[in-house]
Amino acid sequence: MNMTLSISQVTKKYQDFVAVNSLSFTIEKGEIFGLIGQNGAGKTTTFRMILDLQETTEGSIMWNGEHINSINRDILGYLPEERGIFPAMTVEDQLYFFGELRGKHKKDLKQEVDYWINRFELDDKRKAKAETLSKGNQQKVQLIASFIHQPEFLILDEPFSGLDPVNMDLLKQAILDLKNKGTTILFSSHQMDNVEELCDHLCLLKRGVSLFTGSLLDLKKQYGKTKLTIRTDIPKEVLAGLHGVRDIQVGRDQYTLTLEDESHAQSIFDYVSNGKYIEKFSLDYLSLDEIFKDKVGAKHV
Amino acid sequence: MSKFWLLVKQLYVQKVKAKSFIFSIILYVAVISGVMFWSDIKEAFFQEDALQIALINETDVEIEALFESTNDIEFTFPTDDVEKVEEQVVDGDFAAVIFVEDQGDSLTAEIATFEPLTFNDQLSLSSTLQYAGKIYEVQQLNLTAEEADKILQSETTITMKNLDEQSVSGKSEDEKAAGIGASFLVGFLIYSFVMTFLSMITTDVASEKGSRVLEVLLASIKPSTHFMAKLTGTFLLALTQIGGLLLVQGLLFALIDGGSKWDVVQEIASELSFAFIGYSIAFLLITIILYLILGALLGSLVSKVEESSQAMMPAMMLGLVGFYVLISGMASPDTMLIKVFSYIPFTSGMVMPLRIGATDISSFEPILSMGILIVTVILLFLLSLSFYKRSVLTYSSGGIIQKIKTVLKVTT
Repeated sequence: MNMTLSISQVTKKYQDFVAVNSLSFTIEKGEIFGLIGQNGAGKTTTFRMILDLQETTEGSIMWNGEHINSINRDILGYLPEERGIFPAMTVEDQLYFFGELRGKHKKDLKQEVDYWINRFELDDKRKAKAETLSKGNQQKVQLIASFIHQPEFLILDEPFSGLDPVNMDLLKQAILDLKNKGTTILFSSHQMDNVEELCDHLCLLKRGVSLFTGSLLDLKKQYGKTKLTIRTDIPKEVLAGLHGVRDIQVGRDQYTLTLEDESHAQSIFDYVSNGKYIEKFSLDYLSLDEIFKDKVGAKHV
Repeated sequence: MSKFWLLVKQLYVQKVKAKSFIFSIILYVAVISGVMFWSDIKEAFFQEDALQIALINETDVEIEALFESTNDIEFTFPTDDVEKVEEQVVDGDFAAVIFVEDQGDSLTAEIATFEPLTFNDQLSLSSTLQYAGKIYEVQQLNLTAEEADKILQSETTITMKNLDEQSVSGKSEDEKAAGIGASFLVGFLIYSFVMTFLSMITTDVASEKGSRVLEVLLASIKPSTHFMAKLTGTFLLALTQIGGLLLVQGLLFALIDGGSKWDVVQEIASELSFAFIGYSIAFLLITIILYLILGALLGSLVSKVEESSQAMMPAMMLGLVGFYVLISGMASPDTMLIKVFSYIPFTSGMVMPLRIGATDISSFEPILSMGILIVTVILLFLLSLSFYKRSVLTYSSGGIIQKIKTVLKVTT
């Protein structure tokens, strides 16, 4: 196995509470790993420990078998949750500065800077001071700054917050491109559709404790295909009374049934269709969003 | 370029290009030039007509020769009626009329005015009258001109001899006066530089922390590197400003008025000892470093840049205390207060030059004070270095004490 980042039994305690408790996961090279949790679940603390901004109370964090504190930090890229750029510096200078800070030479950076400024449609803002940009543009600048030096390992804390759908797509595409170039990416989000689209593996955090660590598919299989969407004239009460139906929600012109088990689907299909044509009968895995809410104990939707 | 110098450069270039940096040099130059060229400026803009004084001699002797007109006061000796002269005073032709009488071989004078005289004019008038009175009395004794002159010019020659051989040779009054003047200038410069750069570094650290750019920076560099870079960058700025100030001011003195002020500066400098100048520079630089460390530390405590002025308050207070103690010592530089504060690290930079320049002080005392200052700088630096690491990513609310408590709480 081509193991890159490995976190084992990491605990972070403050005087009166435990922020992260015995967290373990590994990220393979060139993979996108999602860290998911509510606010205060310990995501940022975990990032900070990986970045050596905070010390671990227990446990170890290794990069390619080497302790993370002793590696050359130039291979890291980091986008913090709260946006941080120099307000009085121009967009271009900012990118050069962060590139040089991570050990690149100015002349090597030029091509990268031009490419990303162009790709993120910031050409006309090149010489503008960062503080004059809109929030979304500031975020794009910061995002470029975090990977302008082509890091091996990129950490993105809530990269999608505050972006409009067009820019969100730009960002997603950029992340996938970086992945294809071999960058290992760890990111956190509470927008599950983004996670679902990008992640290979993920870790669900709740109050510092990992609820699930592994591949997205494994997580979904754990729940099985229990989400059934039907468009039919049969009244709700009748559907709710069928064998194996745990819950029923009325949608706009359809019902969403939650089954106890995948195996009940066949009998429900037989009953609903009754040998005739049926417009919609769709059995699927739960969305990550639904799983997340279930896992962290929020009310089931 | 190493990361350290990259950060230093970023800070330096950004600040040195700022308008406020250039303005502050101009301001210093303006203030110092204003003081140095005051007499010329006054002449150019406030050329006043001499004060017109009428003097009515009611003695039997010719005393007119005793009242020589100067640039400031012009005496006339009207022979008109008293009422007429008084009328002229009322009309404003004369600022005052003085009636001089002889009473038992002494002069008495009565000054009559309509518009009250200014304090300054009053002083110079009375000193002229006092002097005239003395000469008048000497004249009454029927002495020879030589004898009279001798009495009037008599002056006791005073030299200082210190029996303590440890102590530097006693300073003459002239040297002490020059010392007080120069110490005030040094103290004032230390105070204003310290305040300027204290607020610069505090605000800079606070704004980086507030805008969260610090978090990005610290992912790539060690907090200690960041701390050192802030100190170095700001210190270089201070040196640049001092250098710029000296250069501009020096050129101004050397070029204007054929270098007459340059001669004055050199004259003052020659009255001062080499030790005084050396110590002043050393105290200036080390005190700036001390306050920079404190400023960076305070800046690292705040959560956003708006709080930085609140955070630097304690340091500002320390500087202010030193400055006021210095001012209190302008009149009498030998008080206990001055002695005590010349050893306290945060104020010694402002107070000690005064003692070196204006009092007879053993060579050991400045060394001790300097030693205390250097040790404090080193201790504070080490303390800050470890504390900075912990405070710089901790965001908390409340006052300074509360913030320190929070930092200690969440990082231990």
